Amino acid sequence: MIKEYKNILFKVIHLRSIIGYNSLVFALKKTPVIGSLIPDKLYSTTFLKVIYWIFHVIAEVFKLFIGKIFGLGMIYLAAFLLSDQYIEHDLGQGMSQKMIYGSLGLFFFLAYAFCGILIRVPYFICTTEKEYLVFMLRMDAKKLNDTLILYDLAKLFVGYVITGLFALLTGAPFWLWLGIPFLAVLIKFIGIGIQILGFKIKAGLHKSFKVSAIAYLVRLAVVLLVVPFFIVFVSNGYFVPLHWLLIITGLTVIAGIWGYLEFRRSGTNLHRRALHDNINRTEAKASRHDQYDNTKSFKKIKAKGTVKGDKKGFEYLNALFVKRHWTMLCMKPVVFTIIVAAVMLLLSGEFIYGYYSRFGAENCWNMVISNIINFFTFRGFDYALLSSETDSAFEFFRYVAQFHLLALMIPLSISDNSFKNTQAMFINCDNSLMTFSFFKQRDKIIKLFDIRLKQLIKINLGPVISLGLFADLILFVTGGQSYPGEYLVTILVGLMLSILTSVTWLSLYYLFQPFATSVVAKSGAYRITSIIIYSVAAIIVWVPLVSYILAPVLLVFTAAYVFFMRNRVYKLAPKTWKIKA
Amino acid sequence: MEFVISHLVKNYGSKQVLKDVDFVFEEGKIYGLLGRNGSGKTTFFNCVNGDIDYNSGSFYFRENKDSEVKTELLPQDIGYLVSTPTVPEFMTGREFLKFFLEVHEDIKPDKTIDEYFDYMVVPEDDRDRLLKDYSHGTKNKMQMLLNIIASPKLMLLDEPLTSLDVIIAEEMKNVIRNQKQGKITIFSTHLLDVAVDLCDEIVLLHNGRLEPIDKSNLGDAAFKDKIINALRDADND
Repeated sequence: MIKEYKNILFKVIHLRSIIGYNSLVFALKKTPVIGSLIPDKLYSTTFLKVIYWIFHVIAEVFKLFIGKIFGLGMIYLAAFLLSDQYIEHDLGQGMSQKMIYGSLGLFFFLAYAFCGILIRVPYFICTTEKEYLVFMLRMDAKKLNDTLILYDLAKLFVGYVITGLFALLTGAPFWLWLGIPFLAVLIKFIGIGIQILGFKIKAGLHKSFKVSAIAYLVRLAVVLLVVPFFIVFVSNGYFVPLHWLLIITGLTVIAGIWGYLEFRRSGTNLHRRALHDNINRTEAKASRHDQYDNTKSFKKIKAKGTVKGDKKGFEYLNALFVKRHWTMLCMKPVVFTIIVAAVMLLLSGEFIYGYYSRFGAENCWNMVISNIINFFTFRGFDYALLSSETDSAFEFFRYVAQFHLLALMIPLSISDNSFKNTQAMFINCDNSLMTFSFFKQRDKIIKLFDIRLKQLIKINLGPVISLGLFADLILFVTGGQSYPGEYLVTILVGLMLSILTSVTWLSLYYLFQPFATSVVAKSGAYRITSIIIYSVAAIIVWVPLVSYILAPVLLVFTAAYVFFMRNRVYKLAPKTWKIKA
Repeated sequence: MEFVISHLVKNYGSKQVLKDVDFVFEEGKIYGLLGRNGSGKTTFFNCVNGDIDYNSGSFYFRENKDSEVKTELLPQDIGYLVSTPTVPEFMTGREFLKFFLEVHEDIKPDKTIDEYFDYMVVPEDDRDRLLKDYSHGTKNKMQMLLNIIASPKLMLLDEPLTSLDVIIAEEMKNVIRNQKQGKITIFSTHLLDVAVDLCDEIVLLHNGRLEPIDKSNLGDAAFKDKIINALRDADND
């Protein structure tokens, strides 16, 4: 039996090592610039594999202790420090420091371990290596799970024993040092037993074994609610009497034995089905670095209605595309607009309330309406400001709205959905049409580019206008515009920035076409260019420029930029905008 | 009209997939491009279609072998049917066809949309459904239909009959046969029987080169053995 477990364990570790090494080489090969320099031979270089294997073993040993030191080590440390304080402040109810140490240590550990099994029992999650071993190499699921569980428990036991040795030096009682590793193993078995019982019930009800995400969130919430209680309990000098703790420990031991028996009794089919229903593709894909793909989410096409009116050709194609992908393309900007509008509403309420408390109900509305009239006639109204509105915070926001409108790029980059738009364009439209020759003709490419650019600008109008109005509201609340037309100029600046963002993403898509069969951007040049653009934007954001200078500068720059990018697309896209073979 | 491929070379890193492809295809014929899995058939098509860059070589049209005038190969001269048909899934078949006819202003359709569907035997109840819900075979038919309407000079068919049921495969074969006049059709497959059944000429792609096969005994058992042996030999080279 031991020999069989040992063989399985070696296979698992070996496979983990292969997956890890190949993933690393794969990721390196996909890295911009250096990726092209790395030869395929690296996959089969024995010397490097051995080096990786050594590091892998070191990492395994490191993992053996790291969790224990940060978990159990902190428990011992807290128990040691608190027991000292309890004695000093005479809170020990006649117990010796060693007994208080043991009592607190056991109390903390039980809380820690039970919280742990609530949020993390990973034995039935099907990781990459389990998927390969069970479903491709036909390994017995129970034997594999048994091996991995026993391996983990052995690591846990050894790690706790070694960590406890340090605790012995700080005065921890001997029974605590020896008891905690056994208790930890039994508590793990409780978690495993509960999961197996759950699977048995689900099997009886013909339900999926998939671990429910909602149930997990509930358990997490329970842990988050319980933790403050423990902190308050302990920090106020209370502790659970040792005899109560020993009773709980006794019950835990009984439950642990039950968990172990459940674990022993569980059959291969149950393990296989549990693994099958809990294949953790996210983990598998994350371990393969940029392999993660969410193409499926782009396939949710709504077959609603058709395009009315006289739209033809590419206009017709684009209108249909937007109609059938509305939620995917527009939901984010719409939600962003609603949130900004809601914040503005709150600010307006606060503003009006300030007038109400100062001038009373009747005069309040007079003041508000007169100021709104001033707003539309482009005049200031600082005579009506409340005292609080001239403080430094208001001054700061006013300064930002007047001199740092480039910072609108930050919220705009959050609301902007252009990248996702290009992903949807590729995966649901261009990917297929690129196989037709007409789609690769220069005049047709630029025609569709223009239509799409207008579309992206339109989609982003909501967030842009709401952000512009938000900046206007700040100006309005803090003293009104400082020159005629400032309100409009503010919105104009936002619009220019949004156009710049849209044309950038769309042009990059046409000039680099970074997608292959999925929506993951694979092109190194695309990534590098994006990083450079982001970096430049991150620097420009901090440049102070008064809005009446910024607006004309931005207007000219945007026009030149759009012209330049459009020209590049016209010249280069017939060669660059194609399916990556 | 002839389509000439001159000394085409394509490498993937150190691996040479197309070594020195040099061939002349003639108008009005269906060429069966035979090769083993991984021999480079799709790479060859992707090079011709401009989807991937190639290391060296050229393509052009000419009137005949005595003609000095070389006509550049333009995207609109090529119709390409990929083995796994990809269609814009958010459109219905009818919408896709309408869009296609609208963007091809130079084409004067001689049929209505439904007549085109009838010609390709696209079921009536499919015509107003999203393309994403089409079967593999019907998607393939849509792809073929659009290429027929566009009427390119050069048709590249990359294993278009793979995974089609017998009925649809026969319908597609008939369409390909009916459409061969006035154009050059290159039909790739790794199925010898399909190539023998459908094609006027057989060309082997092996060892990175195109080689014509003597068609005098096309169809008899000895001919098949000859091709199989040729492909085996290539593998052993």
